[in-house]
Amino acid sequence: MLEATIEILIKTIIILGLPLGSLPIIIHVERRGAAFMQKRLGPNRVGPFGLLQPLADVAKFMFKEEVQPAHVRPFFYTAAPMIALVVALLPLACIPIAGPIEAFGRTIYPEVFRSEMGIFFAFAVSALGSYGILLAGWASNNKYSMLGALRACAQMVSYELSLSTSLVAMVFLYGTNDIHAMVAEQTGYWFGFLPRWGFFLQPVAAMLFLVGIFAESNRLPFDLAEGESEIVAGYHLEYSSMKFALFFMAEYIHMIALSALFIIMFFGGYSLLPGMDLIVDQAPSLLVVLQATSLIIKVAFMIWFFVWVRWTLPRFRYDQLMSLGWERLLPLGIANLIVTVLFVYFRNQ
Amino acid sequence: MEFASFVVFFIISCTLGAVLLGISSLLGQKRKAIREMDIYESGVNPVGSATRQYDIKFYLTAILFLLFDVEIVFLLPWALAYKDAPNQSLMIYGFVFFMIILLVGYVFVINSKALKWEE
Repeated sequence: MLEATIEILIKTIIILGLPLGSLPIIIHVERRGAAFMQKRLGPNRVGPFGLLQPLADVAKFMFKEEVQPAHVRPFFYTAAPMIALVVALLPLACIPIAGPIEAFGRTIYPEVFRSEMGIFFAFAVSALGSYGILLAGWASNNKYSMLGALRACAQMVSYELSLSTSLVAMVFLYGTNDIHAMVAEQTGYWFGFLPRWGFFLQPVAAMLFLVGIFAESNRLPFDLAEGESEIVAGYHLEYSSMKFALFFMAEYIHMIALSALFIIMFFGGYSLLPGMDLIVDQAPSLLVVLQATSLIIKVAFMIWFFVWVRWTLPRFRYDQLMSLGWERLLPLGIANLIVTVLFVYFRNQ
Repeated sequence: MEFASFVVFFIISCTLGAVLLGISSLLGQKRKAIREMDIYESGVNPVGSATRQYDIKFYLTAILFLLFDVEIVFLLPWALAYKDAPNQSLMIYGFVFFMIILLVGYVFVINSKALKWEE
């Protein structure tokens, strides 16, 4: 009992600590990346290369006055940022950072919540993200907030459909909902050099999923929840100090979790990057470390991809966004699913 | 036992959120200013209430999302069961029938312009 409790606590600390600890780095990379793409310097005054800027921001968030306007609904106003953060953290519980470890005479799974339905569960809890946003908009009792929240929610649910269709296609191909089994399917190479990643099996589903995670995490070019000239800051307009910071953290953690899900489904999760198996042949004990490194490298690349896209594509208009989701991506997802299913069926005949 | 670990994870993340909120309300500067208690409406005096009527399209989007998402989620157990099914042809007939119903619904929604945002 004690052993199990310690195990759960250690896993929880690692799984929560990794994304939360890397948040300052991600925010720094985002700012410097933005500056780099616009030929300016970006934050470079606090500490070497401005690396301490995010920490200075955290200190500022802590010491700022917490304004709670008189017109808000106090309970939900305070609860909304917490719900947003907690819900963003929940899918991380199912994400394994390495393969099963054989130690102390048993198999240890390096995820907090081991489930046969892992990917489905992670998906289900990450879809709860719209509640925090909707509550924030409603509790703020402000027209801009309310409109921003409605927009963000309508957008998130619309793109969830195309996410779900590509999820069904991948679950159908792998025949499993278990993350470890899914990664095992993607370990190894085709023709000796091409990694057996889901991306090469289902490029259309991968594209749908990629667009979907951008829309789900309200990132550019889908950041219609905010808009300086239309609805100012959207659903977090009336929030200040740490309450605002929680929404900010929730957005980034949501990005990390969805990227990890994307990588598990289409880029082999924690399976080794090409070339790493040469190291494992020499030193098998490094396997777990290298698996975790592979996953972290892949997720880091995805985060950089978010920054990259942000400064490459212009944002949409809201009606374009909705018609892209409902009239292009959803039929494309359904067609992809039908073609996949019929292809598999007729190939096995 | 497996689910207990998730409950622990949930409680720890809730505590984390509460601690972060607590820190800022403890350490934050405190003063009473009247202006910043007002509704922010770009500096103009607020007009009307925030809970007025909004576009019906938001509601339609939510309702249609429920319908389509439930339909797609129904396919997940189907996709899991397909591999070991004794009669795969039957599974495929069921799938095609289900997809035809879904597509008829989809065409109806698009034709009725329920999701057209521009006027």
